[in-house]
Order: sequence, then structure tokens, then C-alpha cells
Amino acid sequence: MKFLVTKDLAHTTLLVNLMAGVVFSLFFYLALDIVLHAYVVGLDVTTLSTTLYGNTEEFIEPILIDTLLLQVHIDLFMSLFTIMIVASIYIRLHSTKVMTKWLVHILFILGLLSPILLLVAYFTSAGFVYVWLVSFILGHCLGMLMSLLILKRLLFK
Amino acid sequence: MKNLHLYHIPIAYMLVYVIAILVSGVWLFLLSQGLSGSDMLETFIRVANLPEPKSLHNFIEVAAPHMFAMGTLLFVIAHFMLFSTRISHKFSLRISYALFVSALFNISAYLFISFGLFVSGWIKLFSMGLFVLVLVFMLGLVAFSL
Repeated sequence: MKFLVTKDLAHTTLLVNLMAGVVFSLFFYLALDIVLHAYVVGLDVTTLSTTLYGNTEEFIEPILIDTLLLQVHIDLFMSLFTIMIVASIYIRLHSTKVMTKWLVHILFILGLLSPILLLVAYFTSAGFVYVWLVSFILGHCLGMLMSLLILKRLLFK
Repeated sequence: MKNLHLYHIPIAYMLVYVIAILVSGVWLFLLSQGLSGSDMLETFIRVANLPEPKSLHNFIEVAAPHMFAMGTLLFVIAHFMLFSTRISHKFSLRISYALFVSALFNISAYLFISFGLFVSGWIKLFSMGLFVLVLVFMLGLVAFSL
């Protein structure tokens, strides 16, 4: 992260292109992560409830805690790196805006909450499935929006 | 550069994320050793006395992603000490070395058990405890430097 702070973007086209490249990749990562979670746990309340709690009528077993915890463990790691990179570059380019601070806070909180809420939903009630769904989709959309704002600033200034 | 303090936000959140990753990792390890319900102490004793057998395939399946993930994560955490004005670079370097060595020891500890060099699982518990302690200490240093 140190190079992001010290290099002057106006004189470094290589750094501008490198930052655009990584943000472009992360934008597609965030989009594909939504699709991946739709396959793994489901992205509607019925599928999610079936994954977490099973369905006795259709003889579907609930997901094993080992499997779910492994998914949460990986999600936390991937979220940390994705959000760190997006947030650092966003701060670098939009540091004078008042909203920057709040957007970064919201992005980090949503990224941390969504994996934890999935575990909470597994151990408690289906009510948390709704909360997880909202926080997961919102977090990913916010990350993608911030990526687009970065790309706009980098490529179309 | 203006508004440098804004970078404190990602670093502070990173500390929380790393704690969450650490907790979920230890929990996953205990689950693989037969943790059920709240008998955590019993699971620790079981690991020390008779750890679950693991093949080389199982070991590599866990070790390979952890080598990459822990290496990059520790680098990111430790490199923030470059910005620190409160902790000397010499001390940061020593802790960083300790962190990388303890991580490597922790990842490879199960290999000794798999190959029958150690019958008891104390080595895994010791390496995991050591890694957690050094990592939490490093996180504390980063938090202190903010």
C-alpha cells in the first residue's frame, strides 16, 4: 500500500494503468462471487433455508458446519484483500470528498458482517437469512460501484 | 499527501478481519479433530493424546492454500510497520521473522504427526498457540502504531 501513498499519479501512467487493471479484475471478481454464492448456498430465501436447514420433505440434509465454516473462512480472507485494495485506491483518488470515509466504513462493515451473519443464521433462525442476503448483495454492489468510480476517475478524467 | 489519516480506516478494519479469520481457522481445526458442542477443553486433550490421523494428501490439501494465504496475509500485516513511528524497524523485523517462522512451523507441524515422528499432538497445539500469540502481538503493534 505504501506505493499508493507516495507516487504521484499525474506523472506515472504505468501506476494509473496498473491500478485500473487490478480494479477492473476486482470488479469482475465481485460480480462472479455473487454468482458463485448463488450456486454454493443460494441467493433466494427458499434455497438458502434449504441449504442451511435442509428439507425433510425432499430428504435434503442441512449443510455440515465444517463446510459452512470453511466457506466463511475463505470469504473473510477474500473479502479482506478485495476490500483493502478497492478502499485504498478509492481513498487515494477521492480523499477530498466527505462521503469517502463513510463509504469505506460501510464497505468494510458489510464485508465483515455477511460471512458472520451466515453463521449466525445457521445457528439461530431463518430471520437472519434475510439480513445476510441484504448485507451480501449490498456489500458486493457497493464494492462494484466504488470500483466503477475508481475506473471513471482513472480512465476518463 | 492530504488526508493520510483516511488510510487508518482500512488498517483498523484489517485487524478485525484478521482476528475473525484466526478464530474461524482455529474453530475449523478443532472441528476436524472432532469438536462437538462446547467441549473445547476435551478436544484439546484429545488432540494432545491422540490426534486424528491425516494422510499426506490431506496434509497437502490444507498446507498448500495456507502457505499462500498466510504468507501474503503476514506480509500485508507486517509491512504496515514500515509506516510506524512508534516502534523501531529493528524490533519490527524481529517480530516479522518470528511471525513467518511460527506460521511455517504451524503449517508443517501436522507433517511430523503424519510421518509418525510424533505420536502426541502437543506439537500441533504448541505451534498453533505460538503462532496465535505472535500474530496477536503483531496486530497489537500495528494497532499501537495507528
